[in-house]
Amino acid sequence: MNGRPRIAAGAPQRRVRLWFALLCAATLLVCVASLLFGAGAIGPLDSLDTLIRALSGHTSDDNAWFTIESLRAPRTAIGVLVGAALAVAGALLQAVTRNPLAEPGLLGVSGGATFAVAIAIALGADAASLRVPVAQFGALAGCVAVLAASRVRGAGDDPVRLVLAGAVLSGLLYALTSLILLFDERTADEIRFWVVGSFAGRRPDDVIALLPGLAVAAVVVVGIARPLAALALGEHVASGLGHRPRLVRLLVVLAVALLVGSATAIAGPIAFIGLVAPFVARGLAGPDVRTTLWLCLPIGAVLTLGADVVSRLVVRPSELPLGVLTALIGAPVLVAVVRSRRLPTL
Amino acid sequence: MTVPFEAPPLSLTSPLQAEKLCVSYGRRPVLSELDIAFPREQVTAIVGPNGCGKSTLLSALARLHTPQAGRITLERRDIRSYGARELARALALLPQNVTAPEGLTAAELIRFGRQPHQSWLRQWSAEDAAVVDAALAAADLQALAHRPLEAMSGGQRQRAWIAMAIAQQTPVLLLDEPTTALDLGHAIEVFELVRDLAAEGKTVVMVLHDLGNACRYADHLVAMRDGRVVAAGPPSEIVSRELVRELYGVDCTLVTDTDTGAPLLANVRRARDIAAPGSSIS
Amino acid sequence: MTTASEHARPALAPAGSWRLPLGSARSGRSLLLDKRACVANLLLAAALWAACVASLCLGEVSITPRAAIAGLFGYGDFMDVFVVQELRWTRLLAGVLSGGAFALAGCLMQTLARNRLATPGIIGLDNGATAFAVASVLGVGLGIAPPAMALVGASVATAIAFGLAGGIGTQGYRFLVAGIGVGAAFDAITRLMLARSAIDAANAAYPWTVGSLNGVGALALNMLAIGLVIGLIGAAALARALGVVRFSEGVAQGLGIRVAHIRLGALVLSVGLTALAVAVAGPVGLIALIGPELARHLSSRRGVPLMGATLAGALLMVVADLAGRVLFSPIEIPVGLISTVVGAPVLLWILLRPGHKIGV
Repeated sequence: MNGRPRIAAGAPQRRVRLWFALLCAATLLVCVASLLFGAGAIGPLDSLDTLIRALSGHTSDDNAWFTIESLRAPRTAIGVLVGAALAVAGALLQAVTRNPLAEPGLLGVSGGATFAVAIAIALGADAASLRVPVAQFGALAGCVAVLAASRVRGAGDDPVRLVLAGAVLSGLLYALTSLILLFDERTADEIRFWVVGSFAGRRPDDVIALLPGLAVAAVVVVGIARPLAALALGEHVASGLGHRPRLVRLLVVLAVALLVGSATAIAGPIAFIGLVAPFVARGLAGPDVRTTLWLCLPIGAVLTLGADVVSRLVVRPSELPLGVLTALIGAPVLVAVVRSRRLPTL
Repeated sequence: MTVPFEAPPLSLTSPLQAEKLCVSYGRRPVLSELDIAFPREQVTAIVGPNGCGKSTLLSALARLHTPQAGRITLERRDIRSYGARELARALALLPQNVTAPEGLTAAELIRFGRQPHQSWLRQWSAEDAAVVDAALAAADLQALAHRPLEAMSGGQRQRAWIAMAIAQQTPVLLLDEPTTALDLGHAIEVFELVRDLAAEGKTVVMVLHDLGNACRYADHLVAMRDGRVVAAGPPSEIVSRELVRELYGVDCTLVTDTDTGAPLLANVRRARDIAAPGSSIS
Repeated sequence: MTTASEHARPALAPAGSWRLPLGSARSGRSLLLDKRACVANLLLAAALWAACVASLCLGEVSITPRAAIAGLFGYGDFMDVFVVQELRWTRLLAGVLSGGAFALAGCLMQTLARNRLATPGIIGLDNGATAFAVASVLGVGLGIAPPAMALVGASVATAIAFGLAGGIGTQGYRFLVAGIGVGAAFDAITRLMLARSAIDAANAAYPWTVGSLNGVGALALNMLAIGLVIGLIGAAALARALGVVRFSEGVAQGLGIRVAHIRLGALVLSVGLTALAVAVAGPVGLIALIGPELARHLSSRRGVPLMGATLAGALLMVVADLAGRVLFSPIEIPVGLISTVVGAPVLLWILLRPGHKIGV
């Protein structure tokens, strides 16, 4: 990276744009696959037929259309939104802690959101309406804890020590969540399936509830991308370039909390997307956080929705918890990041 | 490259020698065909630029690295034929950057030096007690015996580590940069302890960063570059402007310390008339 | 210095130790006992005894200590005998043995890796053992009994974690995070197997995944008992060398310790103990961290507190299980949850104290 962040990208702009276009196309493909495959008695060919007829204006209210419109379409939208949100949150958190291992799921941000929702439901809150803000609040608390830990002298500069602390914090939060489930059967029934991470059975209303939070987060991210890239050169350099590191960190925390809180509220805690997507993006486009953020959108969507489609297919007719698949993809990436020589230099 | 040095007549009296020693890390050779011998009951300092292989030589002498070729003999026996504890009773090593468990006191640390002489059924003897006391006295640490290592100054801590090696009661002692990270006063504490040990009959070999201290405190100097010995002998005989330039690529004026007779480096500056360190000097 | 032994001076034990002569003074045979470690072990043993008695007495039906101990040997009221012998004794035994084994394994691994965070649970060993044991329960396991499969799984996980990290010690924390990755992958595999299996088989395998002392099998318990005895003997044999392995590698080798051999020995013991303990109690990994931590605080820094860690681990496990049974009776909290809730803050405290090294 050199002194002028504007030309700091590791790869030529053209190649990055090409990758972005390719990834968007891949996202579209996965979306179509998500509409075609899945539970229900409708096979892929019937689905395709229905879909083509719908696109050409012949909507019908038969069974196939119902399955696609009210079951698979919201699920697909959720997959795209959650994946993109988690990927961007991971990239932000990694940039602000300057630690390539910082991941919302690993560091306890998702754990905070989960725990907050469990408490709210146990205290009698109506699940559906309150879940999103409560989860965002929990994620905010988790985020603040992570950032505080990353600023402890001696511990925070060591990227791996922070991850260990995060892993412990999330272990603690999940244990506490399990305790609540143990005591409160109503809560347990409400969130038992949500806790393992899944997109199944979500309604279109649930998707709409996410949009305000994600929109605010998007505005914030666009606003802080430039100072965040400068912050990668170190706090003092960023100050010297006329940015305000404290304000940037505050806004990042806010954005991450909104993104992870929204994603967790609807899909449950899903680990490793925030690690894998920025890792791939950096591999394609180099370390500049602004290009990384753009690439993270389609990469996160493809990964998450792709994992969801696979999870519907491997154990038919039942479904695999999504977290299982993301962990199977993410664990090797985690090891790869740790093994790479560049670990401390992000 | 051809600073002439006479092969010192050490090979007959030296307790520790290496012949045709080759050590490499992976594919990169660090020591190549190195012959060396260390004079008995004297202090030898090994000096040379960073990466010249001096620490590797010390580790190989202590059997921490297995040489690819050549052999090392300790009292005329190949060190590979020594048992682990047997070697620890014949040769003690103090590596660089050592750490001890938190809260350990100096006396407790020194007691670990007795392990090569102990066994599961012989965990503590009168001799152990006497040797530990003697090592504390030699390192001038009696007053601090029960102070935790973290509460000591750098020089005191380093003396405690050397005392642990003393408690091993070995005729040969190897020290890897014993004074890095010590300020001048603390470094002198350590050097004077080393001189006393040699006076009491130990053969001491230490790797040093600083040529000046090596000249001042060593009886015998070994200068290394690129995994080979460039010169060896008493400092006053072998240290020359040419040697300093070959080792470090710097020019200097050599004067003699009128108090000790050791060579002193003065007016050290970058050498401008040679292309790069190591190119031929005529 | 040979003259030293010829002096008629008595062999003075160094400060803070007792010297136990074995045989005549001339033979010089002796053991050296650390005073503080002895006192710590006695204290821990006393606390463990009290916790064991409490564990036999308390529960949904409470009985007096006298009746509990009488009941253990078959005397006294019929109901008391039944409760103590049938319900509580096996469970207590499982708690003592598995807690001791977890903590001893943790202490061994922390010492060989020279890192207090390097416990079997953190590097994914528990999850590996669990995955293989669950596979066995679900019938994927080639007919090998769950405890044996747990051993296989723990060995596989260790080999993978250490292989990926390229050795221990040298790579700092890297192998810990490699272990976290391996653990996450094995955990996912366990959940994958549970998701794919029939509901009753999954129910049979469920206790393996949460960490609980409920319904322990006799085979697993016997294997653990034998394993713990072997582990303690092995640990005693390694103890003196392990005291030196805590220093840097060069120092230990300079003192005549074959570091690689000692580490391998400690690693084998640690993996075996963890696997057998997982086969009994499930993944209750944090005991392996808190047990040695407690022992280290009570005991002295001169040696590695292997015995103290074993006792502390047993004590913590029994207390955690007792708390889980009694605190919110009739709801029973699995011991794995309790140990996480108590252990995680301890771990965070170790990790995030500013300016502290994490040695052993």
